[in-house]
Amino acid sequence: MSIAKISRRNFLTSAGATTGGLMLGISIPNQAMADINSKSDHNFNPNAFIHITDSGDTLIYCGRSEMGQGISTALPAAVADELEADWQRVTIKQADADDKYGSQATGGSASIRTMYIPMREAGAAAKEMLIAAAAEVWKIAAADCYAEMHYVYNKNNKQKLSYGELSSLAANIPVPTKPSLKTKAEFKYIGKPLARHNLNDIIVGKLTYGVDTKIPGLKYAAITHCPVLGGSLKSLEKDEALKVKGVIDVISIPRFNVPFGSIGGVAVVADNSWTAQQALKKLNIEWELGENQIYDTKQYKQQLVKNVEKPAEITSERGDVEQAFKNAKHKISATYTGGHLSHAPMEPNASVVWVQKDSCEVWAPTQSPKDIQKVLAQYLKREETDITVHVTMLGGAFGRKFKCDYVHEAAVLSEKVNAPVQLMWSREEDMRTGYYHSINAQHIEASIDENGNVSGWLHRAAFPSIDTLFNPSVLRATKGSLSAITDHPFGIENLRSESGEAKAHTRIGWYRAVYAIFYGFAFGTFADELAHKAKQDTLKFITNIYDNNKNPEQAEQVRRSKNTLALAAEKAGWSARKSLPKNQAIGIAIHYSFDSYVAMAVQVEVNDDDIKVLNVHCAIDCGQILNIDGATAQMEGAVVMGMSLALRTEIVFKQGAVVNSNFHDYQVMRITDMPNVSVHIVESDEKPTGLGEPGVGPFAPALSNAVFAASGKRYRDLPFKPQMV
Amino acid sequence: MTKSIIVNGKEHLIDVDESMPLLWFLRDHLEYTGTKFGCGMGLCGACTVHVDGQAVRSCITTMASVVNKKITTIEGLSDNADHPLQKAWIENNVPQCGYCQAGQIMNAASFLAKNASPSSDEIDAAMQGNICRCGTYQRIKKAISEAATQMYKEA
Repeated sequence: MSIAKISRRNFLTSAGATTGGLMLGISIPNQAMADINSKSDHNFNPNAFIHITDSGDTLIYCGRSEMGQGISTALPAAVADELEADWQRVTIKQADADDKYGSQATGGSASIRTMYIPMREAGAAAKEMLIAAAAEVWKIAAADCYAEMHYVYNKNNKQKLSYGELSSLAANIPVPTKPSLKTKAEFKYIGKPLARHNLNDIIVGKLTYGVDTKIPGLKYAAITHCPVLGGSLKSLEKDEALKVKGVIDVISIPRFNVPFGSIGGVAVVADNSWTAQQALKKLNIEWELGENQIYDTKQYKQQLVKNVEKPAEITSERGDVEQAFKNAKHKISATYTGGHLSHAPMEPNASVVWVQKDSCEVWAPTQSPKDIQKVLAQYLKREETDITVHVTMLGGAFGRKFKCDYVHEAAVLSEKVNAPVQLMWSREEDMRTGYYHSINAQHIEASIDENGNVSGWLHRAAFPSIDTLFNPSVLRATKGSLSAITDHPFGIENLRSESGEAKAHTRIGWYRAVYAIFYGFAFGTFADELAHKAKQDTLKFITNIYDNNKNPEQAEQVRRSKNTLALAAEKAGWSARKSLPKNQAIGIAIHYSFDSYVAMAVQVEVNDDDIKVLNVHCAIDCGQILNIDGATAQMEGAVVMGMSLALRTEIVFKQGAVVNSNFHDYQVMRITDMPNVSVHIVESDEKPTGLGEPGVGPFAPALSNAVFAASGKRYRDLPFKPQMV
Repeated sequence: MTKSIIVNGKEHLIDVDESMPLLWFLRDHLEYTGTKFGCGMGLCGACTVHVDGQAVRSCITTMASVVNKKITTIEGLSDNADHPLQKAWIENNVPQCGYCQAGQIMNAASFLAKNASPSSDEIDAAMQGNICRCGTYQRIKKAISEAATQMYKEA
């Protein structure tokens, strides 16, 4: 990483700042940055900015997208802590799309992991410069000064100078190359509960999301898509729609066959959203549905089960599974399945795009502004740098808003009607023509030897892979998509993973926790099934599997997994669980994903078919924690999302099209089902890792295990209680 | 004859097709964007506003039905962001993405005006029509309960 001052002129152009003071850019090297640096020949490419104005106001520009996960609070807090800033004086601004910020793609729970240290070093560098400036004023040594809450103090006489007074002077100080960082005991904000920075705007309705952009001359659009992936428009009668007062045009958008391009649809542009939506209903459209109209998820899932219950393509192998099975004392097998899921963020897909002759400006809730630039540049035949992307607040995303087909569509419409256009998808379009979490099946066979150890593990998975977005000829999940099986920190000497055939018939996309949803479910549930077979306490049994891992490279994973699991068990009263009422029980599971460890102990009450989740004790180890309140919120949210997908939500296709349409037949969890969630954090000095996704995986297996313990009924298929049969 | 409605204390002429839902009049014509679209069928509660003090789903409430009525949106709930619910929301750091929160707060405000000391089950029943995909339910419940206590003390 390097930190440097940037010229005011450069800063003003790039960030729209208004006053003088100290401006620092932070350059964080990563793969994306390496490409840029090679092009621009060692020029300084900052990818985050700090600006301390001469009034002392401190602006921090955040290059990652905020969708509720709290990154735009957590990262600036790391800067502010090292800077000794007064948090009340810090304002956070969302950065536009620009190569200078490096990768702005926000996903994979990666932001904290990659940016924690660079952000702290930037804050520390700025603080050292402010201290050096004060030392010059007082003509004393920097060592005789210290910084605290937006002031630098003279140790000898307690004189003080504010950051505002010092900022312009500090701009003349060379940037320290190795700023020293605080010790853990000195943290003011890191590791403490911090309110999200935009809270005050949210509670009065002032925070603007993708749907809220208003610019003069704005037109509003509604869209309907071909219900089957790969289909095309056969005929369109639009006269009735065009007659509606306020309708400007009816435009057909052909499928743009690039990742994150439109799948093809017909849109109405009008004076307001309602008129566009009403006119859309008056269109008479016939679609050529194409080959994917054969897609039927009920049949497809049965086929996936067949594909994992017979030998498939081997993706990894260690030891000798067959031999382990031969010597087994017990051998059991089970098959687990899961359905497609729709992200269904509360803010549907929406953006404003204004394509003009010499410019293209986008206001979008997006997890990947760079991909918008790529797609629009390709579509409009312009340079990527000619596409200006303003990243708005995201009203939820969960992976959906990484894939901005809706922005491409708004650009097509803006170009055609020659005006700025806001396109908002209806909830029905969001649910029926989106990107979906993979439908999946897994089959596991395992052996327990005479000492009670798991000696062999055969794990077959079949699911249409996300790789199909980029290469439709991929017919089964690749080795990389099955690496979570091979790399699982369980200590199993003989293990083989196999990938079963699974052709994609719809767009498969990252969904919060991605493959950890079904791997977490299969590993967590099967471990419990094995423990029951071996007649052992599940907690002890799982701990024993970890202890059998003798791979020194996984020693840390083993240690941290065990600690996290033990903490969840202890807090949930695992050892006293036998004293619960007869129809109640606790189930436990742990999953390591995105470099973080999350264990959940779920307490349920089961009456016949009715499952009531009472309490969830969630333990996490994500290294040094940035914002305790934010981390807690992510786990509360993970329980809610985990519970929706464990119990009810599933996207069903018939004749190639999605059958679900809105929240009445895609029943996400509501407040009435909310259990008491307690979050427990493993005290850790390890490097911090993200928490947006890792909490989702362990909920469903813990629930399955709890229901089994309470009722003897084993749920192996997600969701347990499908709504669409 | 011209017709009008009063939004957050200000009168506005109704100059649109009266079959238009209030949501779109608020968002597209008056540019009160605090009220959100979520489902269009009254299933999620993101669009909740008050009509004469009563919580309604503005996505399925036509302009014809609100002629001469008093509408309150999140922007007009209080003068200084100091409604007990808004304060409790800050105290509990309730929102994550925040998109559904205006609807949650408006629904809770109308509910607490009628039931000053609700039980936990009553809060659940009143709020079951408001979806939050980020999963802030636990905090919503706590904030409503605390706001109720506060309002009871002040009353």
